[in-house]
Amino acid sequence: MTISRREWLWLAGACGATHLWARQGVSTPPEPLFAEVPASASGIEWVHDNAMSANHYLPETLGPGCAFLDFDNDGWMDIFLVNSGPSDFWKPPKPVRNALYKNNRDGTFTDVTEKAGVAGASFGMGVAVGDYENDGWPDIFVTAYGKCTLYKNNQDGTFTDVTEKAGVATPGWTTSAVWFDYDNDGLPDLFVCSFVDYSGEHKFECGDNRIGKKYYCIPRVFRPTASFLYHNNGDGTFTEVSKGTDIAKALGKGLGVVATDINNDGRMDMFVANDTVQNFLFVNRGPGPNRRWKWEEIALQAGVGFSESGQARSGMGVDASDLDNDGWQDMLVANVDHEMFSVYENNKDETFRDVAQANEVAQATRLLSGWGLKYFDYDNDGAVDLILANGHPDDMINEYSMQVKYKEPLLLFHQGDDHRLHNVSDQAGPAFKRFFPARGLAVGDYDNDGALDVLIGNNGGAPLLLSNHAGKGNNWLGLRLEGVHCNRDGVGAKICWTAGGKKRYRLKNNGGSYLSSHDPREVLGIGSALKIDELEIQWPGPGKQIDKLTNLPINRYVHVMEGKGILR
Amino acid sequence: MDMWRAIFLIVSLGILTLDAIAQTPQELVQDAISKQQAGDLEGAVREYRQFLKMHPEAAGVRSNLGAALAGLGQFAEAITEYKVALKQAPATPGLRLNLALAYYKTGRISDAAAKLVKVHEDSPENNQAILLLGDCYLRMGQNKDVIRLLRPEHQKNPDDMAIVYLLGTALIRDHQVDEGQALVDRILRNGESAEARFMLGSAKMEASDFAGAREELAKAIALNPNLPGVHVLYAQTLQITAGPEEAQKEFKAELAIDSYNYMANLQMGAMLRQDQKFDEAKQYLTRALETRPGDFAVRYQLAAIALSEGKVDEARSELESIVKESPQFTEAHVSLSLAYFRLKRPADGNREKSIVEKLTAEAQAKQPGVKAQ
Repeated sequence: MTISRREWLWLAGACGATHLWARQGVSTPPEPLFAEVPASASGIEWVHDNAMSANHYLPETLGPGCAFLDFDNDGWMDIFLVNSGPSDFWKPPKPVRNALYKNNRDGTFTDVTEKAGVAGASFGMGVAVGDYENDGWPDIFVTAYGKCTLYKNNQDGTFTDVTEKAGVATPGWTTSAVWFDYDNDGLPDLFVCSFVDYSGEHKFECGDNRIGKKYYCIPRVFRPTASFLYHNNGDGTFTEVSKGTDIAKALGKGLGVVATDINNDGRMDMFVANDTVQNFLFVNRGPGPNRRWKWEEIALQAGVGFSESGQARSGMGVDASDLDNDGWQDMLVANVDHEMFSVYENNKDETFRDVAQANEVAQATRLLSGWGLKYFDYDNDGAVDLILANGHPDDMINEYSMQVKYKEPLLLFHQGDDHRLHNVSDQAGPAFKRFFPARGLAVGDYDNDGALDVLIGNNGGAPLLLSNHAGKGNNWLGLRLEGVHCNRDGVGAKICWTAGGKKRYRLKNNGGSYLSSHDPREVLGIGSALKIDELEIQWPGPGKQIDKLTNLPINRYVHVMEGKGILR
Repeated sequence: MDMWRAIFLIVSLGILTLDAIAQTPQELVQDAISKQQAGDLEGAVREYRQFLKMHPEAAGVRSNLGAALAGLGQFAEAITEYKVALKQAPATPGLRLNLALAYYKTGRISDAAAKLVKVHEDSPENNQAILLLGDCYLRMGQNKDVIRLLRPEHQKNPDDMAIVYLLGTALIRDHQVDEGQALVDRILRNGESAEARFMLGSAKMEASDFAGAREELAKAIALNPNLPGVHVLYAQTLQITAGPEEAQKEFKAELAIDSYNYMANLQMGAMLRQDQKFDEAKQYLTRALETRPGDFAVRYQLAAIALSEGKVDEARSELESIVKESPQFTEAHVSLSLAYFRLKRPADGNREKSIVEKLTAEAQAKQPGVKAQ
């Protein structure tokens, strides 16, 4: 019988192995699944400024997003952190800026923001990283209350603001965004979530002025807005193409988006989490007779638009993954406290059923408000696990709630042999016993050990970097996909691998979580298996190339090019 | 005829005969009344029934039988007897009020209210009927009816604290907080009481001061844990400020006092449905429906359970009925749309979806942040 490191640690705790260690003279406790990397160790000294005021303007409580990206193409994940900034309701008393941290390849980072030219000048919210020019260098799109920004990667450690020139200057209040190639023409397009209409010279404020307290308005009170879809013209410019489609018709309050393929038709769909109005599931129906792309919004009939009580909830974070390894994408949406999060299992007919109860997620999240989140295989056993970053949007919630608090714990779920998610937060490490005003969450392997680490953006605080120690006992293969005919990042690629007699499926989604962007590489966990018997990659259109790879190495990253296989 | 049945009949007839010989019908009734007054309700019931076999037309005696049965807690049987008596002699004093009381005791609040309206029309000075009717309105959430009924009574009897309490509660629930608060102050001037704390808690709840409401209601419970409705309101504050376990404990405490409390049953049902404990949820919801027959909220919960259990056509039927009666009920339109789609009726599903969008847009347009722009 083989046993994973995580299982061993759990068993050790359950069986009172402390005594055993003591007899053997081992005095140190087991390494936590995730260990917090303090700023003193990482060099990440940046702190988010939420611009909190007595007026409690709503944008103050929504940020920040964060990202793992390899901006300098050195094979090591760097970090980008979004900050607030000047706006029509706030003039920063001291300079406020985003942060780009270069990975020093030794567990530390160096702030290169100023040199890179990505400090930002507006009230930033989130970040979406993608290679829109297919030049192999990741570009950065920063959403904001106010002016969003597209930073083109100059391939020399600097970026240029090309927002206006590219035609993606999106009005209003933008939140999460995602790069994906909706029309399979090989060029990544851009979807941008729009939150509420917060325009107006005098901001509407909520609160009991008689006692002098204002609080963050529930977004219900503000007008909904339509999100934006930009088609990549292939010449560095974009055209907004949502007009006349369900995307433009669907007035929402978008906070989270994931691009995925819910019906396995080879076209990427989108699931959008909305706050206080129904969620949207935009199914990509392909080109219509008038050559206009057809998007069908089917969230209600799919069973993912409303709660099972028929009520719109406060959707924030979203993600998608093949949770039950049946080749179909399942989804997840996090809501505010008392609404419970939903784990949506794909019925394979464009409908879903909520299995959050069976997965221990409903119970664990009843009193929490979820933002950043990610389905990922943190211990590389091949099964999809889940991390949730939480925090209540109302900084005064502690004053009137006995149990719901402004700062909330992180939650970690491990998928067991019963194919259910189990709450293992108690065993996840000291960081999971602390409380955070968490918002954005990104996963990425910053130390290239094959174990996906976690970065969390905290509202009005320092980011939290968690180093993954859980995956070390299992074997893995990391893929850096490079599309040739399809989009260079390979978003939409279907990956199937067989190891140890188990066949696993992965779709290279994009987006997911909240305001955040993840390591673009795919880490395939194989547990205790010593080799991958077969790896198949179905690249997305236009080529739809299928590559079958054998004789694969393990426990390292490989560069796979569409139609060429592994580049040595 | 078998032997055992023959023996049973002989014995039974023998007893009847002996009783009939021992007492005249008048003596039988007098004896029954004596037994009832002495607290021997079972004996009274037995003798009233013997008498009514001989004189089924005696409405007064049947009314007494109903009262004895009610005293034994056999309200369903009491209601049957009262109804027959009322048909026989509609003018019998107190009979309609007794029937209303029996309905009230079994949680059939709307039936009780209907009878009490008639009692109030016939006897406008009957204070018991007024108070009971006011309480029924309050339980049914008909706050404006409470105010309409009790405001003049309060002017006539400003020191009647029961009226002050009911009227004050209704005013607060009807968002007339200032006037309600003035009545709370009346009660507070009489010293610390559970009623006053309850009303203060209600007022704070109305003002969305949930922590304050929780504090007042906890004090009310400490002063009088049997005050009707106090656990329900406390549970509702806990639903917002604490967790479901705490809230459920209080809802159950209310149900221990009043097993037909509508809100406690509805909320328990809704919470258990959310936890996918459908069988348990249905028990509470069925009881809530007994209290408020036809109530949309309860019927919606039951329809939602049917939908979750895959009884889609059953859910569709109920939801169609609900939206017909309550066309503004957005959640019901959502679920009905979903039911149609699951039944492969996309045209109907899309029609309902359009209604959802329209209702949502209408509700959104009324929001203060939208109006301010």
